[in-house]
Amino acid sequence: MSKNMHVCKLSDIPVHGIMDFVIGSGERVLVANFRDKYYAYNGNCPHQGTCLAEGFFDGAVLTCSKHLWQWDITTGKPIGLAESPLEGYKVEIEGDEIYVRQANALKMAELFSDISTSTQDRLVQLTRREEYESGSVLYDLGDTTDDLYILESGRVEFELGRDDRTSAAGFILRKGEVFGWAALLEQQPVRIAKAVCVEKSALLRLNGEEAVKVLASDPASGYLVMRQLATLITRHFTSSSEK
Amino acid sequence: MTTKTLNIQVNARNRAYALDGTSNDKILNLGLSNAVDLPYECGSGTCGTCKARLISGEICDQWPEAPGRKFLKLKKGEFLMCQCAAKTDSVIEVESFVHTMEAGACVPAPLKGRISSVKLLTPDVIFLQIALQQTVDFDAGQFMLVQFPEIVGFRGWSMVNYERHAKTLDFVIKKKPGGELSEWLFNNNCDGVEVDLFGPMGNATFYSRLAKNILCIAGGSGIAGIMSILSRASQDGYFSQYNGDVFFGVRTMKDAFFLDELSVLRGECGEKLNITIALSEEAAPDDARTDYPLLTFDQGFVHEVAGRHMEDRYQNLRAYLAGPPPLVNGSIGMLLRARVTTDNIRYDKFS
Repeated sequence: MSKNMHVCKLSDIPVHGIMDFVIGSGERVLVANFRDKYYAYNGNCPHQGTCLAEGFFDGAVLTCSKHLWQWDITTGKPIGLAESPLEGYKVEIEGDEIYVRQANALKMAELFSDISTSTQDRLVQLTRREEYESGSVLYDLGDTTDDLYILESGRVEFELGRDDRTSAAGFILRKGEVFGWAALLEQQPVRIAKAVCVEKSALLRLNGEEAVKVLASDPASGYLVMRQLATLITRHFTSSSEK
Repeated sequence: MTTKTLNIQVNARNRAYALDGTSNDKILNLGLSNAVDLPYECGSGTCGTCKARLISGEICDQWPEAPGRKFLKLKKGEFLMCQCAAKTDSVIEVESFVHTMEAGACVPAPLKGRISSVKLLTPDVIFLQIALQQTVDFDAGQFMLVQFPEIVGFRGWSMVNYERHAKTLDFVIKKKPGGELSEWLFNNNCDGVEVDLFGPMGNATFYSRLAKNILCIAGGSGIAGIMSILSRASQDGYFSQYNGDVFFGVRTMKDAFFLDELSVLRGECGEKLNITIALSEEAAPDDARTDYPLLTFDQGFVHEVAGRHMEDRYQNLRAYLAGPPPLVNGSIGMLLRARVTTDNIRYDKFS
């Protein structure tokens, strides 16, 4: 369990407004008020690191000033042009003080963000948190597709091809990003890329077969996960923006 | 002497691209001319959008004083792709999804031309025409990077004209007090001077299959790209079906230009096209209304004037914004409050 970090006082946040703070860990945290609730997110835009407090906030939707990415302030989910969710914190209020705590990476993952809380909690129970040193190979081409992975911290790179005929195939670096999706698919028994931690990394591992069983017991959530999975795959292989 | 071919690998979030270039090629331009849609906005060293990280190899920064460097984490090896060329085989990383351009896109390329016309439109706005050695296709609303001899760096300017297979490109340029290029252009006889260009670039484009009403808010020389959009819309008879609202902001009537051209466009396109000249520092003189009966005149900052005139007419709308940052930001705020979705707000930030 991560510890609470102090951010500010309730009275620092304008009604239906936003304010950002640099907390003790050096992270920039954006705090927003909407109705009687407070929400906290990483204060830098997941697109290009622009300071989100300089953006537009109408009390419900936050818009980054640089490229107009938008998010629902109550969930951090992307709206319109935005391609990534905001990285959220759990907010705890004690008296007039606002504290934040790191959120579980699975609960932040776009793949699982729309499903029921009870199914989310069952999946969290199934995860195993593991730490890897830089250079660790998580899986190689042709390995069995057993687990899918959710990044908590660090950085993972992918490589296609064999021997000296390899090419880089992208990388992930944001908390809540999911990879090794093939573990959720039937008839996809082997890995098609190599995954390597290129920094010290913390990951949540989730067995694909067990996850599918949980999702099968909650078909509405299962449908949402598979729909989100199709969206994620499409984003990797097709152009995402109309010109 | 042959220039050695260098291998430049661009690692993006979703895949890698292998590019063959030389030490003369800026990495952004190399990628774009290979139809790899690398991130950028100004293309000229100001906005910081094209930042990337050097993983291996060596690069040469051709403009170490570029204002966009303030957005970089230099200790992490970040650099501006629009200003840097590889010196050796290199691997770089772009922290976003990068795709290849769609079929039919106007792929940017290096071009050569010479200045064929220079004239003053107002005391501090110049009209510049460049005749190209080869024709070029571009979308209405796009811009071109232009480099002049003896002046360091490329500048980005939107085309005023619109035509397929264009042989000439028209630009308007605002004089910047003390600016090296402004002084050179305003004080020299530049006719016939050879220039290098790269483009077309920019995503604030208009095309007739858009099938939406359009709202254009421009300040000063920002009217350039809007003129191109109106030219294309007029050629396609677009305003027979859709509304067009154009707001052109200048300080005083002495700063206004293109009023004859806008009147002609209004005459060609009919009543569905409304063109309003917003004067920020004076009320419109009576003779302006007499001289330009097809144009409307109003007083105030252009985005505020636009807000008053548009009221509740934001349905099925695409907005194009062009001008200094306060105009663009003020207009964005107004459009968001009017619930215009962000995919329908188009602009290219040059700063």
